[in-house]
Amino acid sequence: MNMMRTAILAAGTLLATIGSAHAEWPKDRPIQMIVAFAPGGSTDVMARAMQPYLEKELGADIVIENRPGASGEIAYTALAKAKPDGYTFSYINTPGFLSMQVQRKLGYDPKTIKPIARIVDDPAAIVVPAASEIKTIAQFIEAAKAKPGAVSFGSSGIGTDDHLAIIILGAETGTKMTHIPFNGAGETRTAILGAQVTGGGLNVSEFGGNDTSGLRMINTFGKERSPQLPDVPTAIESGFNVEMTSERGIAAPREVPAEIADRFAAAVKATLDNPEFQKQAKQMALPLAYLSGPDWEKEMPTRLARFQKIWDTTPWVQQ
Amino acid sequence: MSIKPAANGRDFPDILAGGVLIFLGALGLWAGRDLTYGTPAMMGPGFLPKSLCAIIALIGVIVLIKALSKPHEALDAVNPKPLLILVAAIAGFAFAAERFGFVAATIWLLVVGSLADPESRWKEIFISTAVLTTLGALLFVYGLGVQMPIWPF
Amino acid sequence: MAFLDVLMLGFSEALTPTNLMFCFIGALLGTLIGVLPGIGPTATVAILLPVTFFLPPLGALIMLAGIFYGAQYGGSTTAILVNLPGEASAVVTAIDGYQMARKGRAGAALAIAALGSFFAGTVATIALAVAGPTLSAFALSFGPAEYVALCIFGLLAATILAHGSVVKAIGMVCLGLVLGMVGIDVNSGSARMTFGSTDLYDGIDFVVIAVGLFGIAEIATNLESKEIRGVLQSKIGRLWPTREEFKDSWAAVLRGTGVGTILGVLPGGGATLSAFSAYSVEKRISKTPEKFGHGAIAGVAGPEAANNAGAQASFIPLLTLGIPSNSIMAMMLGAMTIHGITPGPSVIQNQPELFWGLVASMWLGNAMLLVINLPLIGLWVKLLQIPYRLMYPAILLFCCVGVYSVSNRGFDVALVILFGILGYVLRKAKCEPGPLLLGFVLGPLLETNLRRAMLLSQGDWLVFFERPISAVLLVITALMLLTLILPTIRKNRKAAFEASED
Repeated sequence: MNMMRTAILAAGTLLATIGSAHAEWPKDRPIQMIVAFAPGGSTDVMARAMQPYLEKELGADIVIENRPGASGEIAYTALAKAKPDGYTFSYINTPGFLSMQVQRKLGYDPKTIKPIARIVDDPAAIVVPAASEIKTIAQFIEAAKAKPGAVSFGSSGIGTDDHLAIIILGAETGTKMTHIPFNGAGETRTAILGAQVTGGGLNVSEFGGNDTSGLRMINTFGKERSPQLPDVPTAIESGFNVEMTSERGIAAPREVPAEIADRFAAAVKATLDNPEFQKQAKQMALPLAYLSGPDWEKEMPTRLARFQKIWDTTPWVQQ
Repeated sequence: MSIKPAANGRDFPDILAGGVLIFLGALGLWAGRDLTYGTPAMMGPGFLPKSLCAIIALIGVIVLIKALSKPHEALDAVNPKPLLILVAAIAGFAFAAERFGFVAATIWLLVVGSLADPESRWKEIFISTAVLTTLGALLFVYGLGVQMPIWPF
Repeated sequence: MAFLDVLMLGFSEALTPTNLMFCFIGALLGTLIGVLPGIGPTATVAILLPVTFFLPPLGALIMLAGIFYGAQYGGSTTAILVNLPGEASAVVTAIDGYQMARKGRAGAALAIAALGSFFAGTVATIALAVAGPTLSAFALSFGPAEYVALCIFGLLAATILAHGSVVKAIGMVCLGLVLGMVGIDVNSGSARMTFGSTDLYDGIDFVVIAVGLFGIAEIATNLESKEIRGVLQSKIGRLWPTREEFKDSWAAVLRGTGVGTILGVLPGGGATLSAFSAYSVEKRISKTPEKFGHGAIAGVAGPEAANNAGAQASFIPLLTLGIPSNSIMAMMLGAMTIHGITPGPSVIQNQPELFWGLVASMWLGNAMLLVINLPLIGLWVKLLQIPYRLMYPAILLFCCVGVYSVSNRGFDVALVILFGILGYVLRKAKCEPGPLLLGFVLGPLLETNLRRAMLLSQGDWLVFFERPISAVLLVITALMLLTLILPTIRKNRKAAFEASED
C-alpha cells in the first residue's frame, strides 16, 4: 500500500497530508480495524470512507483488514481473541451480530465484545419494480393472501434484516410468501429490476445510494420515516407492527481501557460531525445515527430476545 | 500408490481414476450425510451435493469396470519424493505465516522447497532465498499491502 | 447528441494529461498484479479506494478501471509461462498457452494474447458506447431459469474442453460442482461438507484450487523425472507469431470477441463463462481439433479475446443500470457513490463527460496495455531460460503468498496441499483439471438459480421450457449432446484423439 501511495504522490497527486498536530496515542503502531466482509461490500466501503477521517482525528495510522467469512463469525472471533490494548477494533453489524447468537453455537463469547459506537441505523424496506401494481404494503399483503406462495420476496441472504423483517411480517399478518435468498443487495436489486421476484428487501442506503429508476420503495421498516426518503411511509404507520433496521458500528475487546474506548468513540463522533464526511455520507445515502457504545449495548438485549422469540416459532435456518 | 505388475488388458490410469472418483464420491456422501434432501419445489441443502456425489461414485464404478477390459496402459512412473518435500515446505509456510511472519515462513518455504530438486546446490539456495525473501517482503508486504507480519514479533 | 460528438467529448476528457496519467498508472498496476497469482485486482482496488477520495472523480474511475482490465491482461502471462492461472478466465489460456510455451512458442502465445485482447477490448468498448442500454436489457431478462440453462450449456462445453474420455470429464465436472458447494448454503444457512470447520464456512476460494491443481501439481510432476525437466529449459523460438499462426488466430479472435461481449454482460459468471465457451467454440469448429490441448494457437486467441471482451463488457450493466456484476464492479460502484455519482441511465444524460470520458479512457488504456505488454514479452520469455531449480522456488513463493492474501490466513495455504496432492493423483489418472475448475466456478451459480427457479415455479420443471431464452439454450445443449453421443461422430472424435496421443 505504501508503494502505491508513494507512486501516486510522486505522480503529483494531491493526497491529504495526514496531520500529526494533535494526539499522542497510539503513535508506535497502526490500529487494526477488522471488517467482517469482503472488500467492496457496503460495510467495507463505509470503513474505507471513514479511514482518513478517523486517522486524522486520532492522529494514528489505521489499517483495514478484511476477515470475511461465516457471516462475520470469523472476524468477531478474531476480535474476541485480540489483545485489549486499543490496537484492534472491528466493525460489527446487526442483526447479524445478534441473530447468529440465536442461530448457532459460536466460536467466541459475545460478551467478550464491547460496542464502542454505532455509526448508522439503516432501515430495511420493501422494494418492487416500478411497473408493479403493488403500491403499498397493504396491497403487498393482499396479494400474498390472495395466492399463498405466489408472491415472492427476495432478500440479501439468510438471517439478514430483510429476511427477518419478512418473517415477522408474515407472522404478524398470517400470510405465506416465498422467500428467495440472494447473495447480497446487488443481486437482489437485479432480480427486482428484472421483475424476477414480486418484491425484495433493500435497505434505505442500498436503495437511495443508487440509481432508483425502475424501482419503487413501498415502505420502510424504520421506527420513523427516513430523512433520506421522507415520502416513503413506515410499516408501523401503515398499521403493521414490524420494525427492522440494520445497524453498523465499531466494537473492541471487552477489557479495552475505558480511556481508549472513550477517545475512539469521540473520534467516531467527530468524524460523523465533520461536514465533509457528512457530504460523502449523504452521497452514499448512509443514514448516520451516532449512538455511544453503552447506549447501543443497552438496546441489544431487547432485540436479542425478540430474535429468540422468532427463532423459537419459525427458525430461519434449516438445521 | 505403487505400480502394479503389468497384466494384460488393464488400463491402470483409468483404474486409478475410477478409484479416486469412487473414494471422493463416497467421502462427499459421508460428509453430507446430515443434510436435508428436500423436494424439487423446496430443495434442501443436500439435494444437489448428495445427487452429485452419487453420480461421481457411479461414474467411478463405470470407469473402473471399463478399465478392466481396456487395452493395457501403464501408469507413468511415480516418484513421490518431490511432492512430499513440497508438502512439507508449504505446510511449514501455512503454519508460520500468521505466527512467525513473512521472513521466517518464506525462508522455510524456499529452503525446504528447494530440496525437492536433487540438482539444487546449497550455495544457490542460500543466495536465491536471501534475494527472494527480501524482494518478496518489499513487493508483497510493503508494496501490495498483503496483510502478513514481517517479523516474528 | 450525435455519436461522434459524444465520442469527441469523451476523448477530450480522457486525453487531458492528468487523466492519461491515471490511465497509465492503473494499466501498469493492473498488469503487475495480474502477473502475480492470487493478488487480485479486488484487493488492490480496495486498498486504493480511500486514496481515490482525494482524486477528481473521473481520474479515480479511470485508474480503478485500468487496474481491472490491466489485471485481465497480465493474468494470462503466468498461465502461459508456468501453467498457473491466477483467475478463472485464465484457466483456459493455460491449456494451450502452456503447451505452446513448452514448444518454445511462448512469445507467439503472449503476443497473440496481447493483440487479441486489444482487439477484443476495442470492440467491447465500442459495444459499450453504442449498445450499452440494449445489452443491459438483455442481461435483465436473465432470470433463474435462464441461468440454469446457461450453466448446463457451459458445463457440457467443459466436457469438450478435455481431450480424454468424456465420462471422466463429466466426473471431473461433477467433482468441481460439489467443491463449489462447500460452505454455508445460501438458501438454508446450513453448513455443508465443512467437516465441522468454521474456516470452510465461506467455501473454498478459486485461487486455492487453481494453485493446487495446476501450480503445485505441475511443479511436483516436473521435478519427478530428469527428462521432463530437460524439456522445460525450452528452446526459444521466434518471439513474434509466424504468418501461419496469425492466419490460425484472427478468426478465433473475432469469434472470441463476439462471445465475450455478449456473455460478459451477464452478472455472475459471465466473464469466465465467455472464455470457456470461446474455447469450446474453437475446438468444435476447428478442422484440426486434435491439436487442442497440445498447443493450438486458436485455443489461446479465442479465449483471450473473449475474457478481455467479457471484462470490458462487465462495465455495461454497471454504467447503464448501476448493477455491479462482480466484486470489482461493486467497488467501482462504491467509488462512484462516494464521489456523488449514481451510475444508471441518469449518468449518461446528466454527466456525459464522465460516462464518455471513462469509455474513451478504456480504449486508450487498452492501447497503453499493448504498448506496455509487447516489449515485456521478450523479458518474460527470457525468464523461461532460468534453470528450473532456481525458478520453481520463486513460483512456489508466489503461489503461497498469493493464496495467503486471499483471506489473510494460513488455512488456505494448508488447503492448497490437499489440492496439490489431488492434482498430482489426477495427472497420474489422466484426468484433466480444466473441467473441474469450470464446474467449481459454475456450481454455486447453477445451484442457487436452480433452487430459485424451482421455488418460484413451485416445483414445476416445465419452467425451463416455458421461458424462451432458457428453452433455446437447452435445445442447443441437447443438440450438442446428441452430436457427442451419436456413434459415428464419436468414432471420429476418438480417432482424432488417438492420432493426437503421441
